[in-house]
Amino acid sequence: MGDGKQVRNEEFQSFMIGRWPRLMRTAFLLTGEQHAAEDLVQSTLERVYVSWRKVGAADDPEAYVRRVMINLHARKHRKRLKEFLAPKDDSGLVHEVPEAGDRIAQADDRGALLKALAQLPVRQREAVVLRYWEDLTETQAAEAMGCSVGTVKSNAAKGIAKLRAIPALAETVTYGGRK
Amino acid sequence: MSADRETYDMTAQTDIALLLADAADGVEIGTAPVQAVLRAGRRRRARRWAVASATALVVAGTTGALAVTGLPGGGPAVRQANEAKPPASAEARHVYDPQRTELAWGMYKGKEWHVAVQVWGAPRDEGEAARQLDAMGELGLRPADAHRAADLVGKTSYFATRAWGENRPQQVMFSTVDKFESYSGKDMEAAATRLGYGGESSGRLVVGMVAKTARQVTCHWKDGTTAVAEPAEGYSAHDTGSAIRVVDGFQGANWFTCVAPEGTSYASAEVTKPDGAAYASVVVTK
Repeated sequence: MGDGKQVRNEEFQSFMIGRWPRLMRTAFLLTGEQHAAEDLVQSTLERVYVSWRKVGAADDPEAYVRRVMINLHARKHRKRLKEFLAPKDDSGLVHEVPEAGDRIAQADDRGALLKALAQLPVRQREAVVLRYWEDLTETQAAEAMGCSVGTVKSNAAKGIAKLRAIPALAETVTYGGRK
Repeated sequence: MSADRETYDMTAQTDIALLLADAADGVEIGTAPVQAVLRAGRRRRARRWAVASATALVVAGTTGALAVTGLPGGGPAVRQANEAKPPASAEARHVYDPQRTELAWGMYKGKEWHVAVQVWGAPRDEGEAARQLDAMGELGLRPADAHRAADLVGKTSYFATRAWGENRPQQVMFSTVDKFESYSGKDMEAAATRLGYGGESSGRLVVGMVAKTARQVTCHWKDGTTAVAEPAEGYSAHDTGSAIRVVDGFQGANWFTCVAPEGTSYASAEVTKPDGAAYASVVVTK
């Protein structure tokens, strides 16, 4: 029994080490901020570890991890909102997203995209990230978000439309994007 | 939707996918904090088991406080929370006016910053809870997961706040609990935040909770330097902003702060001296 536990721990550790970079990138797109991304991935993996016996034996542990991360992200977003609403005079300052008019952000495609993503409602942001960064099918994205395929479609479409409407980003896209 | 249509959709958004991939590369990946996740996961698992015993404590608490004796040799940060009996009046229980403890202060860009923790006593009925919610509202505080006054009945609320200059304090870590969680060993819960309100001080201030027995917390900064927080009592002009302090009215954990020098920010934090003198806090319920 003790051996079984040790084996499971080792399995989890190698799973975590292997997935860490990808999860960090996804979390970064969802949160737009380094520390928040680290927190999100760590909290996700803590929960995954607690259920690892079940998750590790499942056919698709990745799907479970995505579901946990999206749930946590949505919940955290609600919780942070409370934080922002409380101090009326500086609400939003906790957002570590470049402010409008920030010259560095404007000059930087990454900054422009992160800022644009941050302006999307949370479900649209999740749908865009899962579909176009994680490259999930609509069915897989729906599973991760705990909603219908139709909801994923409409959220992703609205999200993309809003991203394309943002001038700084439209310019980047028009010129072919990457430097 | 057909597979063909999905393929078409993905192709049409290739530019967005490329931008996302590039933006995702902007994150610093770092080393996977395996041990920290395992530790926190174990604690989370243990917490599930604690639910049943917490009920027993509440029952015991209603007939009076649980008397637990602190052992000698503790030093300042293991000062005992000497609360033998829950006082009767709402005022004495700090229902409308919280107990406040200043954790740290300093100067940033010519203005003073402060970190404080306030602990609001548990209201016993909806009337007390409604007054408490109003009082919190006047200070711009919003308790966690409490949408109506009734949600606060029987629960203690705490808020770690930070303020800079004349701005209204901002909630950094906060919760509303039936009972304080008891930290032990190297347990830690922490948040990295800012000194001021601009992005350039992001991650320079770390606020968190550690076990009552923790004697030292080391905060690691991204440039490889560290700050050490140790038990402190009282305040002086020589304070670095890094300290472990007892918070009035808060049981089960002490609070700490670490401050990073200009030009760097939070990388990680850990309890580096977990075993101070044996100490047991008093568990007072409602």
